Amino acid sequence: MKPFAATRSASTLLTLLTLAVAVGFAMPLLAMLIASVQPTNRLGKPLFDHDRPILAAQSWLDLLRDAAANYQNVLSSPIADFPLYLKNSLVVSFLASAAMTLSSAAVAFALARLNWKGRDAVFALVLASLVIPFPVVMAPLYLVFRNLGWIGTLLPLWAPACFGGAFSIFLLRQFFLSIPKELDEAARLDGCSEFSLFTRVILPISAPALAVTAILQFVASWNDFLSPLLFVNHQDLYTVALGLHMFQSQHGGAEWNSTMAATLIAIVPVLILFALAHRSVQDGIATQGLNS
Amino acid sequence: MATKASNLRGWIWASPFLIGLALFTLLPAALSIAYSFTDYSLLDPPVFVGLDNYREMLADPALGRATLNTILFCLFNVTIGTILSVAIALLLEQRLPFSALARLIVFLPTLVPIVAGSLGWMWVLNADQGILNRALAFLHLPTPNWLGDARFALPAIIIVSLWSIGSAIVIAGAAIRDVPAALYEAALIDGAGPLRRLRHITLPMITPALTLNIIMSLIWSTQAFAAPLIMTRGGPQNATLTYAMHVYNNAFVFGRMGYACALAWVQFLATAILVALALKILTSLSHARPLR
Amino acid sequence: MPPIGPIIDRSRRAAIGALAAGAAAFAFWPSTPRSRRDIPHGRTVLSYWEKWTGPEGEAIQRVVDAFNSSQDRIYVQRLAVSDQNSKALVAIGGGDPPDLAGLFSYSVPQYAESGAAIPFDQLGLDPGPGFFTPAIERVLRHQGRLFAAPNTSYSLALYYNLDHFEEAGLAPPTSLESLADTAVALTRRAPDRSIDRVGFLPSLPWWWYYLWPVYADGLLYDDSSPDAPTAPIDSDACVRAFEWVASFPKRLGLADVRTFADRFARSYHNAGDPFLSGRCSMAFQGPWLANFARVYAPTLRFGVIPMPHAAGLPDPLQPRGLVECDVIIIPRGCPHPEEAAEFVRFTLRQDIQESLCRDHFKSSPLASLSPTFLSTHPHPGIAAFEAVARSPRVSVLPRTRVWKNYSELLLPAYDAIWAGADVRSVLSPLAARLRILIDRQQDIARRRSNGD
Repeated sequence: MKPFAATRSASTLLTLLTLAVAVGFAMPLLAMLIASVQPTNRLGKPLFDHDRPILAAQSWLDLLRDAAANYQNVLSSPIADFPLYLKNSLVVSFLASAAMTLSSAAVAFALARLNWKGRDAVFALVLASLVIPFPVVMAPLYLVFRNLGWIGTLLPLWAPACFGGAFSIFLLRQFFLSIPKELDEAARLDGCSEFSLFTRVILPISAPALAVTAILQFVASWNDFLSPLLFVNHQDLYTVALGLHMFQSQHGGAEWNSTMAATLIAIVPVLILFALAHRSVQDGIATQGLNS
Repeated sequence: MATKASNLRGWIWASPFLIGLALFTLLPAALSIAYSFTDYSLLDPPVFVGLDNYREMLADPALGRATLNTILFCLFNVTIGTILSVAIALLLEQRLPFSALARLIVFLPTLVPIVAGSLGWMWVLNADQGILNRALAFLHLPTPNWLGDARFALPAIIIVSLWSIGSAIVIAGAAIRDVPAALYEAALIDGAGPLRRLRHITLPMITPALTLNIIMSLIWSTQAFAAPLIMTRGGPQNATLTYAMHVYNNAFVFGRMGYACALAWVQFLATAILVALALKILTSLSHARPLR
Repeated sequence: MPPIGPIIDRSRRAAIGALAAGAAAFAFWPSTPRSRRDIPHGRTVLSYWEKWTGPEGEAIQRVVDAFNSSQDRIYVQRLAVSDQNSKALVAIGGGDPPDLAGLFSYSVPQYAESGAAIPFDQLGLDPGPGFFTPAIERVLRHQGRLFAAPNTSYSLALYYNLDHFEEAGLAPPTSLESLADTAVALTRRAPDRSIDRVGFLPSLPWWWYYLWPVYADGLLYDDSSPDAPTAPIDSDACVRAFEWVASFPKRLGLADVRTFADRFARSYHNAGDPFLSGRCSMAFQGPWLANFARVYAPTLRFGVIPMPHAAGLPDPLQPRGLVECDVIIIPRGCPHPEEAAEFVRFTLRQDIQESLCRDHFKSSPLASLSPTFLSTHPHPGIAAFEAVARSPRVSVLPRTRVWKNYSELLLPAYDAIWAGADVRSVLSPLAARLRILIDRQQDIARRRSNGD
């Protein structure tokens, strides 16, 4: 859309508004970051004030010492093993991400590149499954996992990803549809089977879309709170999200500065991922909005 | 074109999704219907009770409160969320200084795990030390005990969920970028001002993307419960008890799986009807509006 | 320009690749969780889920350590769990329980009825009737069988600030009614009329909102006829107790009381605690408050008496109150029930129980006290707590599996009463709702026992 900002003053005003929006959205993250590096008796105060002048080298040393103490407290807490939770989260997110990408690609391949009876019905089913609310199935899903013998393992958190997910299938199907049909014809003329068409032609071309799917699933698994809350009972299997909740809701509560340090430990890995791949992530999200 | 063999192969390629759907959605959904006619505590075997669970809903005061809270949450979250996301997307598409940075920052909260975001906001909203009340006190405005006061707790939860509208902004932004520039140029020649261009060109052109945003936000809002579970546990005075949380409490805290299943089914039907209605209204809106 | 794009892309891709490889290596590198590192070789490891953390957690850890070094066959591993009731329920229901679970006593009826806890007689663990105080016996037993061991118990009493009382020339209250008058007399207001110090507020802290009826001999749950239990929460006695609660916001001003109480929303058991900081003259609290007073308010002079009850009740010299108990159960289907029983037997030793009680500043759940228990107890007011815990008029929480649901329903009712609603018209519909829940529960239990 053409800029509203026809005049200079309007443009200044809108720039200020843009900054205000950015500050508003960043504010909670900044507040968390600040609390996470402060000692208990300075909570709620700014990082620097007359007790701790910004120009004094000592203030900076104190700040580093306090920050290190808070994060050290969390990582070595006797009631929560965050290094282990990080490890569990990584395992779950990697496995879910790989499984989701591969299985969804196969399904999307069938929906976008193959001609078969029932294709449209299956695609409608994919879309419809987006609408079923998780709370409806969460209670009996527990019973299904119990009968599969998955309670007490990490399987409930990643194994369902082996069967594809509506959003990933949708995203990959959009991408596969944009690949020229002629490629298939050429491959078939070369004697390619359907399977090698998928693995040798479609998958390599689709690397960017596969990466987006993988990243989005990684983030989704990393952030998932309800599944671990419902299906994981043993401390040794906690993911970061669940461990964080348990850490904060412990008997008697936790100090704000340790809680915020723990919170940042849970956030930083996804932020790093995003910093490296924000373009493709946002493009992937935007694909949702394309009406097919 | 489609031969019998290729039909079969299509189903095989799509089978991961179909198996997953059957195992992790349809089976639990069916189990959920069956259990909704029983009294089942997870620990002892289910006992058939007929329609008792459904009858009990009529006499459950907490359910009434939870339903009302969920409706209020949906209403405000969807309407404010939609208006805000379009407004912010418009602002960020103006190509001003800082637009690119703001786009990044606005999207960040969607990556933050819901536990981490909720904990961060608990700190921001903290009555004594939180940054929000400090700012309000500085401006000599009243400083409510956000999460401890029944009047402010639900609005506080809505603010928290509005923090993560980044995906909706990205989708709306992509749709705005896709509006053909020729339309604006024609409108400029006609002498249309910015507001008229917004009303007659931008909004009608992005309606499909908005429809998707609204539907996703609606579905998500009806299932909300992680944030209130973490931040308020449904309190104070059930002011933030949502429907999905009531399902969770009954299934996993009170040990009343049967009642929880009945609740979940009513929720599913209500959500399905709501989404169908919203879809109908939104599509009729987008057809009724001419492009120019 | 064009060449720059791919180069950035490539370096970025390389960075992602390197990071992913590093993260994957960390994730899949075999290593032992911290919780398993200290386990001596060759012992049977029991997992013990416990909610206590902080100093209370350290106290129970001392018991665990003592057990672990008392023999060389079993190693108990304590794991801190929050939401333990729900986690244990789901874990046992899922067939993946811990060997020992620390719960609140309200879970005993549910776990006992559904066979989720192993009855202690099956493990040769029942020390026989009369080992615990009568109230604790009621809490731990279900239909005569012992299902849980106490892991400290507590009652509540009234702490009062000696300086405030001496300064005002007042004596500690002797009845609920005089407590309210004393509270109003001790309340001090700031020049802007807001409350600066309060004599007493039932909502500071609000945690025991459900137990006021016991101070007017009202019953939360009446199981005197076991086949037809009721929850007479709208009885005259209960209404009287809640009207007493409602008299505080009425007499001191609802808005003022709310503003005052809101300030303490998250500051209990630390330096900002309303009683420890001298902002309230009387507090209805557990024994642990004295432990926190030692740390945060070492100069505070306070006395402790049993919470006074309503005037005109029969047997007025016997204190009323509630005994609550933290319990350990051995879940059905746990991997090592025999070894778990060994640990429970160890914790039941009188010296172990009493040292744990001392560490928690609490009274003892056992019927017999060692001669030096009271005289060497660190709590200066332990006599008041013992008097409540051993009173024949003391109550326990409703012994029904609907209690959790019941208490959740009572909370909004209590809030409405606090906000000024008519007490009886709030409690009557609640009683009706409870009748449905309890009747239904009875019906299901009957049908289950008939093998329906």
